[in-house]
Amino acid sequence: MKILVAVKRVPDPNATIKVRPDGTGIVTDNLKYVVNPFCEIAIEEALRIKENHGGAEVVLVSVGEQVCQEQLRTGLAMGADRAILVLQDGDVEPVIVARALAKLVEQEQPDIVMLGKQAIDDDSNVVGQMLAEMLGWGQGTFASEVKLSEDKSSAVVTREVDGGLEDVEMPLPAIITADLRLNEPRYASLPGIMKARKKELKEIPLGDLGIDQSVQVKVHKLSPPPERQAGKKVETVQELVDLLHTEAKVI
Amino acid sequence: MIAWSESQLMIRDAVRRFVEDEIKPNLEALEHGDMPPYDILRKMYSTFGMDQMAKAGFAKKIAAEKSGEEAQPRSNGGDPSARADQVAATIIPIIELCRYCPGMVTAMGVSVGLAAGAIQSKGTIEQKERWVPDLLTLDKIGAWAITEPDSGSDAFGGMRASARRDGDDFVLNGSKTFITNGPHADTIVFICKLEEEGVDARERRILNFVLDRGMAGLEQTPALRKMGLHSSPTGELFLSDVRCGIDRLLGGANALKATGGGRAGAKATFQTERSGVAAMALGMVEQCLELSVKYAKERVQFGRPIGDYQLIQDKLARMEVARMNLQNLVFRTIELVSQGKTMTFAEASAMKLYAARAAVEVAMEAVQVYGGNGYMSEYQVEQLARDAKVLQIYAGTDEIQIRAIAKDLLAAD
Ligand SMILES: Cc1cc2nc3c(=O)[nH]c(=O)nc-3n(C[C@H](O)[C@H](O)[C@H](O)COP(=O)(O)OP(=O)(O)OC[C@H]3O[C@@H](n4cnc5c(N)ncnc54)[C@H](O)[C@@H]3O)c2cc1C
Repeated sequence: MKILVAVKRVPDPNATIKVRPDGTGIVTDNLKYVVNPFCEIAIEEALRIKENHGGAEVVLVSVGEQVCQEQLRTGLAMGADRAILVLQDGDVEPVIVARALAKLVEQEQPDIVMLGKQAIDDDSNVVGQMLAEMLGWGQGTFASEVKLSEDKSSAVVTREVDGGLEDVEMPLPAIITADLRLNEPRYASLPGIMKARKKELKEIPLGDLGIDQSVQVKVHKLSPPPERQAGKKVETVQELVDLLHTEAKVI
Repeated sequence: MIAWSESQLMIRDAVRRFVEDEIKPNLEALEHGDMPPYDILRKMYSTFGMDQMAKAGFAKKIAAEKSGEEAQPRSNGGDPSARADQVAATIIPIIELCRYCPGMVTAMGVSVGLAAGAIQSKGTIEQKERWVPDLLTLDKIGAWAITEPDSGSDAFGGMRASARRDGDDFVLNGSKTFITNGPHADTIVFICKLEEEGVDARERRILNFVLDRGMAGLEQTPALRKMGLHSSPTGELFLSDVRCGIDRLLGGANALKATGGGRAGAKATFQTERSGVAAMALGMVEQCLELSVKYAKERVQFGRPIGDYQLIQDKLARMEVARMNLQNLVFRTIELVSQGKTMTFAEASAMKLYAARAAVEVAMEAVQVYGGNGYMSEYQVEQLARDAKVLQIYAGTDEIQIRAIAKDLLAAD
């Protein structure tokens, strides 16, 4: 069994993000980068499938700049077997990531492609879905539980939907995207971290994949959210009720 | 070594995350309450596979010893950077924990470094197999007891704790104080003198015994109240006629034959302790510096951030100098150990002296940068300042380090 896991490098969700004055992007000086938290959950799930289903090869893929190898090493330290970095400078739009993954799926022939449900930087939430469409595979998105059949020919994915849970079953190979409650990712162990540097990390320029690289979406401008206004202190409950009524107009 | 490697930074980030998740939420209970540090330390060991690593290392060493070979200092034979990573993997958690809980590091260091270390360096193969693995994984907590109410810096000279021969057995007596992990220890290395007819007390043979919690005649007191280092319980031990066999005497019958026995062994232990202090100091200094820089930018007086004032800048600059020096000392230690080399006793003493003084100075200056807030427990520098002081006292006081350095200098031709 082989599981391909997509890994994106994103700014640390705990960092304070500042938009550049000209609106062309964010200030990246001294910004700390991490594995997208949902991708980390996807890696963890792949490792658990490997551990609980008699082994599997877990292959990580990232599309981006050279520095993305830091995030791939983190995944290797957690226990993934090898990694592929598709090199491309600058932002890569989701459809190109999906095409690159589709190409690698052709080469690697995995049984499952695991992804995070979305990346916490641009929140696009599309790569898994587009990849399923390109490959013509079934998809279980927003997974909060993944169960494989005994013979590993199909998977049941529990999805968190409005007001409850939905179980969908699909034959493998399939696409699964991880939601927050799927699992709690492990820490990389110290021996794991030390072994990671010896694991294979293959680099392929995006251009070598021979995919359509035409850009379809252009980011025009980023703007920061409006500054929060200072709050108001009230003396009595009555005053609060009045203001909620007259000013906030919520009651 | 001139900088942390990529793997080492990854270790640092992983440990930092653990500190965020597991230690910070408990900081109040650990440093201002009575929460013992052991459960969190055990969790750290199992989370990061440190227990398995220690066990595997021990198994290798024992196997080599049994086959009569010298144990290789580090595996990974030819790859020096991999060896450095292995050494750094033991030092980085010390640095990171010391940013918050120097006491936890003390508790851990005494258990795995001193107690297990003493058994490993002086014990027979049977003794090592009996006690060391559980100590290395922190399944059992160890204590190492040399200090007595009337004998501290003059540890061997003034020592009163005694072992009397009684047939094949030994009968142990004495009291020990300021013993890290004393209240909770499962395994205690007890250092004492052999009662010998006609030998002056100062010249008597030093013996190390391993005691288990609950042995008849062994009392472990509750933790003493102290200035700082609250996440490390410190207590007293009282032994009255504790009877044990030669199986508990480290080194067995050989310990009774060897000349000068015990003193040299304990000295080796001092050396490990002393080099660990540099890593501890680095963690505390890094934290104090980071907090001070942040506060200097935020705190406004006379209409400007206090960081604009040269007197505050001077403090920050000195902290940075200390941080760089300590980091270089730590890099040097990693480099030496990974090459299987050791530093001289005087060098280890010099390093400890500098590290302790730097930590105290930086932590006190951090309190000063914070002003009244610095004196309040709500701000972490207050705790770090109290904790730092111990570095000048335990593992040999500053004065004793100076003595060792000077003795070495003056002995040379
Ligand atoms: C928190 C804590 C944990 C500890 N943990 C342990 C432990 O786990 N195991 C253990 O065995 N011990 C432990 N100790 C004891 C520690 O090692 C001793 O406190 C230390 O060695 C100093 O001994 P002392 O307290 O008796 O001071 P003393 O030796 O009485 O020293 C008092 C003062 O006199 C100075 N002085 C002494 N001799 C000379 C000299 N020749 N020249 C100049 N100045 C001198 C000292 O530097 C000091 O300033 C711990 C201590 C503390 C505070």
